[in-house]
Amino acid sequence: MTGEVSTRTCLIAEPEMWYRDLISCLQATFGTLVARLGADPLAVLGAGWRFLHLPGDVRFDEFYYPCPDSDLGAALAPHHELRARWWQPADEDDVWREVRESLARDQPVVAAVDNFYLPFRPAYRDVHAAHLVVVYGLDEDRGLVYVSDAMPPAYRGPVPIEEFSNSWGSANPADVQDAFFSDSRIGRRCLDVRLGAQPASLTPELLGGYLRVDVDGFTTATAARTGLAGFDAFAGELVGRCRAGDAAALRELYPFGWGMQAQASLHGELLRRCGREWGDPALAGAGRAVEAVAHAWTGLRITGAHGIADARAVAADIAHHATVLRGKYAYAVDAVSAAI
Amino acid sequence: MTVSSTVSRQRDPVDISRHRNNIAISSATATKAGHFNVWGNSFAAEHLPAGGSLVHVAGVPFRFPPVCAGPDNVRCEGQFVPVTESRYDWIHVLAAAERRCEDTVELHFGDGSVDAEPLRISDFWAAPAWFGELLAFRSPVMHYPHHVQQGVPAVMWAQRVPVTRRADLVGIRLPRNVAMHIFAVTLEHAEAGHDR
Repeated sequence: MTGEVSTRTCLIAEPEMWYRDLISCLQATFGTLVARLGADPLAVLGAGWRFLHLPGDVRFDEFYYPCPDSDLGAALAPHHELRARWWQPADEDDVWREVRESLARDQPVVAAVDNFYLPFRPAYRDVHAAHLVVVYGLDEDRGLVYVSDAMPPAYRGPVPIEEFSNSWGSANPADVQDAFFSDSRIGRRCLDVRLGAQPASLTPELLGGYLRVDVDGFTTATAARTGLAGFDAFAGELVGRCRAGDAAALRELYPFGWGMQAQASLHGELLRRCGREWGDPALAGAGRAVEAVAHAWTGLRITGAHGIADARAVAADIAHHATVLRGKYAYAVDAVSAAI
Repeated sequence: MTVSSTVSRQRDPVDISRHRNNIAISSATATKAGHFNVWGNSFAAEHLPAGGSLVHVAGVPFRFPPVCAGPDNVRCEGQFVPVTESRYDWIHVLAAAERRCEDTVELHFGDGSVDAEPLRISDFWAAPAWFGELLAFRSPVMHYPHHVQQGVPAVMWAQRVPVTRRADLVGIRLPRNVAMHIFAVTLEHAEAGHDR
């Protein structure tokens, strides 16, 4: 699998890109790595479905996802042994050391970047915005870093090491053109993504177990903002902050909602796929109900994004879309419960 | 029960000009004029039909909106669009969404009844037809406020909404959802004498 490897040059096999239109670079990069590890990205990333809001935790990254124990892999795939932890180079005098070592082990690296410095991103030399790419090669002699990015326009190939370094080490300053993914230091963050045991083939019994856990998660109140009760707490606070003219509530809504929206879209798609393959129309219908949750997130997120200049003015519309979304959640939880 | 034959139904474009409130199409020399989405992206006028032209998508005629001459679409905010009172079977729309989206339109009838029907629109930004719409128009490039982006297409869809009630339609209330954009509306009449 490993191509040419030397101290300063290592180029491993190009990863297959993985993408869906409602996901962000977070699910796209994880999906790419899960596929490379021999598993089905949709079966892993779409197996779980939860609601979790952590007040005060939202970061202005495209790849923000609520993650109570700092393990993004466990948060994204709660029913699998997917693990992911952030790391940063230990040696400021040799920031490429860990990347070199990872590539030498035939392991790509997920790196946080600022789109402003990446020539293949639409935001190049225009807008600062935090993003994730997969690094699959490094050629220090020729001054190139090889990256894969499944998000449109989709790119796989070399980037000048100087541009990548600027992107990887960017302060990602506040940018008026992007209120949601700027003003968040990149700091050469990287993700170490690992998949423990190879996932077992998905069966109705196995999926049924996942669904029971998730339905319980939605219907059992906890001290945290989880499930339907957690959504109510989140939505009530969101509407209240909008009525008080607090634009920060809407700025947080966009990145937070993306994670919840992406997860619902993948879970719904998986259930629909399984329902069709297994001849189970109730399961397929439950999948479509979960997808309707994802689609209702669009109304809430986009209303908030357009209303950021005057939160008070859009408070009623935010309340409307929160009510619609709550109804979609309740319907979908009921549909999933009935399909188990 | 009347058995329908394959006849050409009457289809009338609806005048939505007074409801247009957004500019989603820009020229390559003035990309900043368009702001379909929150990022200021827009369709490339050079790859779309001429403004005001009569276009056909799968046989359905639409009056294409003005291009680079003011607002070209209705960003949905619950507007009420009166229509010529008559029996219709389908409401056809040229539309696009700022991310994949589904919501409801209210169909108002002359007898006072109101039905909610789903309107489902896929993303305009390099996305597939998730809801089974027809691809109406596609600009192979995406306009950004400061440049023309290769490799990211902007897509306009042809979608339809059923009119299931056998009563005279008098108006359509659009969704209260700013993620949805309507460029044109055409009403397809019920077959003459059908189920009267």
